[in-house]
Amino acid sequence: MLEIVLTREDANTEYALLAEWLVEDRAEVTAGQPVCVVETTKATVEVESPGAGTIVQLFDEDVEVELGKTIAYVAESADELAAVDAKAEEKPATKPVGDRKATRKAVELAELHGIDLGAIEKRGFITEKDVEAVVAAQKAAAAPGGSAALAGVSTEGVTLPSTFDPDSASGALEPSQYDQLLREEAEFRALAPADKVSRLREYGAVIGDDVDLGEGSYVAAPRIVIADGVSLGPRATVVCEEAFAIGELSQFGADLELRCRRAYLGSGIWAGRSVRIGGGGHRDPWATLAIGDLAFVGDEAFVNVCRPVLIGREVFLTMRSLIVTHNVGHSVLEGFENRFAPVVLEDRSQVGLGAVLYAGSRIGEEAIVASNSYVVGEIPAGSFAIGVPAKATGSSSHKLSHARRTELARRMIHDFHELLALRGHAVSAVDDDGFEVEGTRVAFTPAYRGGADSPAVILTFDVRGDVPHGVAVLDLLGRQVHGSGGQVLDSVREFCRKRGIRFEPGPWRYPGGLV
Amino acid sequence: MSITAQGKRGVQVLNETLHALFAERDDVVLFGEDVLDPYGGAFKVTAGLSDAYPDRVLTTPISEASLFGVAAGMALRGRRPILEIMFGDFVALGLDQVVNGISKFREMYDDQVTVPLVVRTPMGGRRGYGPTHSQSLEKLLLGIPNIVVVAPSECHDVGALLIAAVDDERPVFFIENKLLYGRPIRRAEDGHVGELAVRESDEMYPALTFSATDFTEGAATVVTYGGMLPVALDAVTELVLEHEIFCEVVALSQLVPMELDAVLESVARTGALVTAEEGTLTGGFGAEIAARVQEAAWSDLRAPVQRVAARDGIIPSARPLEDDMLPGIEDVVSAVMALDGVRS
Repeated sequence: MLEIVLTREDANTEYALLAEWLVEDRAEVTAGQPVCVVETTKATVEVESPGAGTIVQLFDEDVEVELGKTIAYVAESADELAAVDAKAEEKPATKPVGDRKATRKAVELAELHGIDLGAIEKRGFITEKDVEAVVAAQKAAAAPGGSAALAGVSTEGVTLPSTFDPDSASGALEPSQYDQLLREEAEFRALAPADKVSRLREYGAVIGDDVDLGEGSYVAAPRIVIADGVSLGPRATVVCEEAFAIGELSQFGADLELRCRRAYLGSGIWAGRSVRIGGGGHRDPWATLAIGDLAFVGDEAFVNVCRPVLIGREVFLTMRSLIVTHNVGHSVLEGFENRFAPVVLEDRSQVGLGAVLYAGSRIGEEAIVASNSYVVGEIPAGSFAIGVPAKATGSSSHKLSHARRTELARRMIHDFHELLALRGHAVSAVDDDGFEVEGTRVAFTPAYRGGADSPAVILTFDVRGDVPHGVAVLDLLGRQVHGSGGQVLDSVREFCRKRGIRFEPGPWRYPGGLV
Repeated sequence: MSITAQGKRGVQVLNETLHALFAERDDVVLFGEDVLDPYGGAFKVTAGLSDAYPDRVLTTPISEASLFGVAAGMALRGRRPILEIMFGDFVALGLDQVVNGISKFREMYDDQVTVPLVVRTPMGGRRGYGPTHSQSLEKLLLGIPNIVVVAPSECHDVGALLIAAVDDERPVFFIENKLLYGRPIRRAEDGHVGELAVRESDEMYPALTFSATDFTEGAATVVTYGGMLPVALDAVTELVLEHEIFCEVVALSQLVPMELDAVLESVARTGALVTAEEGTLTGGFGAEIAARVQEAAWSDLRAPVQRVAARDGIIPSARPLEDDMLPGIEDVVSAVMALDGVRS
């Protein structure tokens, strides 16, 4: 069997045009007979048959063919022709273009829920949103009403606290004792903090160590779980119709007022004084509050909960900001708006002083809402929004180069040094990467690889290697503390906190240090 | 009926359009190197033309500098010359005629004459033709006043653009990307090319705007032309499919005089701009557009304009090295991802 291969006629070309077949497919050809015309950019040549036999063409006319490819066989016998037929079955097909129209996210979500993408009729791309709509429709059909705790609110972008567990029975009080707790509010408020803890444990609540329930405070719920180190300020009032759960080291300042159906509060939350949670509809079946780990709630913040309010991890809800989940107004039958809707603050979003989030607001991950803005609807992730109504006008953050980060970290060492000196502490001069205060070295190195003379507090971007006793290494990007230290470490943590760098493990604030 | 039918290869559309032009107008003349049959030009755009119109299709020696002058003379005397420059790289040989003559005669002679010539020439690489047969030198033409530079893409009505160029009283450079010759035409059908919605402006040399969301939202606008359009379309398709980032693409067909209404309209929706061109970066198409868009629409932009272009260097002959040199799909994807406010 003979092959006709497209040889290179032009040094600059990878492809040539198979312009024309001069013989029919399956025609009998003779040696030296021209069988096709091939064009490159520089030449047009006729290709001759290498021998006599039956030609089997592998390409159509008028197509570009890669040089070096076999374009036809010449079968010299019937047997060869049969063999060639088998090969010709593999005739290269045209590559389908644009046959994929569903996004990767859509495909993954469809697989997860067993949805047939082919059944979604749409001009244009099929996106995650399209699949979500199908999932939501299926869920709505399967279970009208849905889960009361979340009322169908999407938790995308929200890291719920580990205390969020609507089905758990942990910390459940005896019903009769819960009733008693409700009846004896005045008496409970008068108890000493330690006695409050004992009383709640007696009734079945799960309360950790070092829990501080402030003077005049009151906590009541059919299910109560309070983790280690939680502190509620004086005159706090917590009344939940179903459950109250709060994670370790979370603290609320004086005069907290918390009333809703279910409150799931994470760990490491820091909240100021006179925070009010509740308001109209707080006994509604959908009145669920979730606040993620390490969130900040400022003084006099007000959160109305009659529909779910989901606050993600490390969210800042600053002083006097306001969340409402419904409006109050005139009759719907006269055409006035009557709105009941959840509010969601996705992880690491920030809400400025005095901002108002209207029912149905959703603040995307890492978005910032400026002070005194009024939010209606969705603020995109990563955006900076300002105004009444709030509109995204830019980005909430920008990317930093490694060099810029390093420069900022070095500057922090200098700023910390200056602050300590102004505070009257004896500090050594700053050398290449740090200085000494109170006999402890404070230094920055881009990459920590183990060691260092103790005692020391080392700030770095990258931690590998063992941390010796007496040394604390702070991973500025991973925001983790390795090792341990004393007052100087606490002071560094407090200093970093004011630059938005909070470390785990540990609480929000380190007051009483050198700064 | 449009000659630019769906699925026809670019070379076929150009060839049929030339035949139609010659049939319709007696004043059209075409000349250039190796344009006669049976060879029909290096890329076969003129195939069959000299057999049909032997008096009006002229083959010439290798003499680009003179050919521009010959074309100018014919145009001044009332003909409609089409000059084929075999590779766009050789346009540089004729630039003096363009800069100091062709572009200036009309004003110098107080509008008493026009120079309605068309220079057709292939630009672009990705064929392994090496340093002097692969360039995209449109940027050399961008700063010349009083000429028109038209660059069709495979989604434009290529035939209509060529007819408009021949009808135009101004001197027109008609830039044909080499890959356009072999690629099938992809005109919008039912307002779409593939899954992308398309709008076409109503200018003589229209801009096409593509949207991944039917113009409802967009993370960025990618502005491009000619042979970079398929690269940009593949990039925005990848951004949608892999990252759910929805962009718009504007494909200009008129590079000079630069008119950016379609770009500004798109940027008003998306708030960010990426420019994409096959020519080298410095002083190019993207630089000019970035300057104009920041001037006209500073408040619409949430991020600095990103430019995608060939590296400032010469194009190697070896294909892998050429691929490294020229901008590809991943370069456009990375440029969009690098914009502030674009997250997947």
